[in-house]
Amino acid sequence: MRLLKKLHKWLGLLIGIQVLAWLLSGLVISLLDPAKVSGRYWAAETTSEPQMPPVTELLEPEELPPAYLENATALDLTMRHGKPVYRIVYSDGETLVNAADGTVAATGEADALQLAKEDFTGDGTVYSVKSGMAPDLETRGHHGAYWRVNFSDRANTSIYVSAATGEVLERRNTFWRVRDFFWMLHIMDYSGRQNFNNALVIGVASVAVWLGISGFLLLFASFTRRDFFFLKLHGKTGHAIVTLYDPASEATRQIRLRKGSNLFLSLATRDVELPSRCGGGGECGKCKVKFEVTDLPEPNNAELGLVPGPLRDQGYRLACQQDVFNDVVVHVPAGTL
Amino acid sequence: MLKPAVITRNLHKWLGLFIGLQVLIWLTSGLYMVVVDIDFIHGDTLVKNMRQTIRPPEAQGQSIASLKARYPGATRIGLRPVMDKTFYAVATNDKRYLIDPETGIVESPLDKKTAMLIAQYHFNGSAPVTNASLITSNPPMEIQTRRLPLWRVDFDDRFSSSFYVDPYDGSLVTRRHQYWRIFDFMWMLHIMDYDDRQDAHNPLLITAQISGLLFTFSGLWLLIYSFSGPRKGKSEAGR
Repeated sequence: MRLLKKLHKWLGLLIGIQVLAWLLSGLVISLLDPAKVSGRYWAAETTSEPQMPPVTELLEPEELPPAYLENATALDLTMRHGKPVYRIVYSDGETLVNAADGTVAATGEADALQLAKEDFTGDGTVYSVKSGMAPDLETRGHHGAYWRVNFSDRANTSIYVSAATGEVLERRNTFWRVRDFFWMLHIMDYSGRQNFNNALVIGVASVAVWLGISGFLLLFASFTRRDFFFLKLHGKTGHAIVTLYDPASEATRQIRLRKGSNLFLSLATRDVELPSRCGGGGECGKCKVKFEVTDLPEPNNAELGLVPGPLRDQGYRLACQQDVFNDVVVHVPAGTL
Repeated sequence: MLKPAVITRNLHKWLGLFIGLQVLIWLTSGLYMVVVDIDFIHGDTLVKNMRQTIRPPEAQGQSIASLKARYPGATRIGLRPVMDKTFYAVATNDKRYLIDPETGIVESPLDKKTAMLIAQYHFNGSAPVTNASLITSNPPMEIQTRRLPLWRVDFDDRFSSSFYVDPYDGSLVTRRHQYWRIFDFMWMLHIMDYDDRQDAHNPLLITAQISGLLFTFSGLWLLIYSFSGPRKGKSEAGR
């Protein structure tokens, strides 16, 4: 048990800060409204796809420039801004091609601005439009060029529009940015913020599990029946009288305890402060008291480690390791009473 | 007045009783999710032939223009690869069709045999199919967000793989296996949403997190007292 405690303590020192970071980042992530984080809270409702009007001028797929269909995994004739277009899907992106003439139907700055305004229903106006060629932190997971349309709303919304297809790729805002920062802390991927299979988090989590297991096992050692006396499940428990004696001042005090009570904690709650640094954990060895040799309890592991042999023989024990079952006389350090 | 060390120690102990098991569950489920490769969880190693390309059909037979005339309500008309062949796919506002490019016959909804063939075409292994069934309502948890109906094709491999095939376009919509299911269960434990396994914005989780945060903080604070340890030769008077 002492070993388990030591393990728990050292693991806590080693990675306790990260466990705190996990709890804190997890809490922040849970507190944020997912609809606001994803931006769908302010997104216009999607309308169903428009039906296609009968078109006379239409190229068949095999009439398109062959390069467009190389490595294409799907193709669809659909309507965009009232015009029939072919949406061609590749494993790493998409292209729109005008179905009437086979030219690429890229989305320009003005179109992107319009599309973003149609999508965003929150307050605020567009204050800038920027173009990007490769995905950054906010557009990770997407391919190809895009437009970033920035709004002046309180949440600093940026709507990302694909330059290839005119689709809204992402809706980013302060909620998402805060969430993403804490997500980074949570998964410990400080550069890409998306790889939760990284070696660092695996390593720290492996250690943390042992912190958890040791703590869980320690629970069983930390609690005894006395901790649950307040539930009054055991019927009547008897009492024991502890007679405290300060040899220096010859002062005495009698305290009545429920049988099984922890000596250190019982005295602490009755304003008898024994010296202690660790607060009753059996770690600092400061709360030594002396029992009468006649009712000397067996020392436990903590006492064997923290109370020198000669003192043990004289009757010294650690108050935090002693539960009181019988009437006893206990010598306390000078000035305690 | 109780000493801060006594208060902290007892706070940590009692919060541990209250929330310790959940913290251990967080740590264990988190460990599972970071240790098992997410690409494997997604079933990337279970599939093959996933980058099929389309080939524009020969000019004779069907065409986009002829299908447009045949389905005036179409919102999309396109090409989809199914196994080694390219089919026409048509969508209206409420229906979808998969059409043979040569004969113009509507092949959808695909039958059980075809669904099994498609699943086997994409299955990266030699295990036989044990069962195939059409799911039209009450989908299992593992496809709760997907559009129905779907063919579920189960394989007799060591991962208990299930492939889901869309009867209206012949695509492999998703694949699930035992480790995905464990991952999903761990995720449920992690976010404490025991019904839908999706909502991490729930009051139970937030309450547990606040308790867990206090618990962890008290533990860290306790380290200060625990590591002040026994110091020999110093007076034990005072304090």
